[in-house]
Amino acid sequence: MPALILNALKILFLILIFLFLWQVGLAIRSHIGTGPSVKRAKGGHELVVLRGDAKKGTTIRLRPSGHTIGRSSEADVVIDDPYASEFHARVETHDGGTMVHDLGSTNGTYVNGRRITVPTPAGKGDTVQIGKTILEVR
Amino acid sequence: MTRNTEAVFILAGTVLASVGVAMVQFAGGGWLDADVALTFISFALAFGALHVSFRLWAPNANPLILPIATFLAAIGSIEVFRLDPDLAALQRWWLVLAGVAGGSVVWLLRSSGVAVLRRYRYLFLASAMVLLLLPLLPDAWPIHGATINGSRLWVRIDLPFGVRALSFQPGEIAKVLLTVFLASYLADRSEAMSTVSRKVGPFRIPEPRHLGPVMVAAGVAFAVLVYQRDLGASLLLFGLFIGMLYAATGRGFYLGAGIVLTTAAGVAAYTMFSHVRVRISAWIDPFADYTGAGYQTAQGLFAMGSGSLTGSGLGLGRPDLIPAAATDFMFAAVAEELGLAGSIAVITAYAFFVAVGFGIALRSRDRFKKYLAAGLTILIGLQSFLIIAGIVRLFPLTGITLPFMSYGGSSLLASALIAALLGRISHEERT
Repeated sequence: MPALILNALKILFLILIFLFLWQVGLAIRSHIGTGPSVKRAKGGHELVVLRGDAKKGTTIRLRPSGHTIGRSSEADVVIDDPYASEFHARVETHDGGTMVHDLGSTNGTYVNGRRITVPTPAGKGDTVQIGKTILEVR
Repeated sequence: MTRNTEAVFILAGTVLASVGVAMVQFAGGGWLDADVALTFISFALAFGALHVSFRLWAPNANPLILPIATFLAAIGSIEVFRLDPDLAALQRWWLVLAGVAGGSVVWLLRSSGVAVLRRYRYLFLASAMVLLLLPLLPDAWPIHGATINGSRLWVRIDLPFGVRALSFQPGEIAKVLLTVFLASYLADRSEAMSTVSRKVGPFRIPEPRHLGPVMVAAGVAFAVLVYQRDLGASLLLFGLFIGMLYAATGRGFYLGAGIVLTTAAGVAAYTMFSHVRVRISAWIDPFADYTGAGYQTAQGLFAMGSGSLTGSGLGLGRPDLIPAAATDFMFAAVAEELGLAGSIAVITAYAFFVAVGFGIALRSRDRFKKYLAAGLTILIGLQSFLIIAGIVRLFPLTGITLPFMSYGGSSLLASALIAALLGRISHEERT
């Protein structure tokens, strides 16, 4: 078979290879991404992630019935933080104010940098620290 | 819908393999014959089996694992066919066997899920150890170890009636079993291991008792190096331990400790074993002993050099001049006949596989499955990195196979198991 045709076939084959990979790449792009590691909830006030493994600025809308926050997939708000306990804290909204309860976590829950022992109110601009994740009430 | 995408990709990869085999035949002056059809059939059977098993028992599995595997296997088996049509005929059987085995794993885990593996971790650890030790069986026994190219990692079963001996590399399966064990072990311990309580100077280190596993890992890897004279498997196992520890704890300390230990073990091995010294000198200057220790590396370099940008064309180079081109030096053979373009394609495919695998690990909620997905991905990524880096002289040469691509039943089987497990994990965790 003439060299010219073989050369053309070679280039064609390489093009096929890259076409295949290009399509795989496109499919990966539409698939990949770590996905939100903080579930969103509806209604009420908001907690915004300031620092932590979860994407900065991720917003959790607080609902009046309150949610548990922790590393367990059973928690209402799942935070992927090795320093957080499975069920770390509970946040409830009462009459516009937000109450933070520690659920006997190993590393404690901090409101404005102070470890809480009793349910503690947290207003707008206060920070809540769970594990290494810092959230701000907004 | 995603399963259909997967089917289309697998079909495209199967066609790619057949077209490549046809091109090798054209280049040799021949015309299409049964090999093209047989290649098509073997790929369709092997990846068809995996695909159908995903459809039936893991319908939400990530649809990109199998396409990438098909692609790599396609490029690999074209090159195996080009190097030795007889090997390619065997490779087709191995491929079908691996595909069916992978599919069976998905079927076995259909109702219990991957989580069931967690319970049998010590069984897996024990079997992995036995498999790793099997090549040390004395030569006189009907099932015995065999030393090939200075490394004792083969087991040969002599069949009666003069049938050819059956040989396999148990280490390939052992590494998958070890990954399952490690994932299970770390799923229980990672929390304790990730707390860094002590401060030594500027470093924060974990409790000394958590260093136990790292030392055990180093010990196993070193034992493999000493008794089987296998630099590749040793580095791969140790890298796997360290990689999984890091993935599970997120503590850079383990990576640092791993690098320090690897360096120390490397220096110790260099002074203690002549075969390691030979490897290192062949790495630093393969042309110093061109006809001897450096021959394989040097031939690989010549092959890649003559491949240039787009390669000599399939069937038109001389990759047969490289020792072990169909197994360890597969990458050099591809680089010669498909050039830089083809080699970049192969590396891209491995990068894609790693991206997909870590994607599955990241999005898994269950720890065991998370670490298992990460470990299996590390295995494929590290193995392909080590051997490719060895061929291009980025790293001393380690004789290990290129996953999915190299000739070899044990290697293909292990790769198919990894693909099947990743598929099942991604199905269960809906990633």
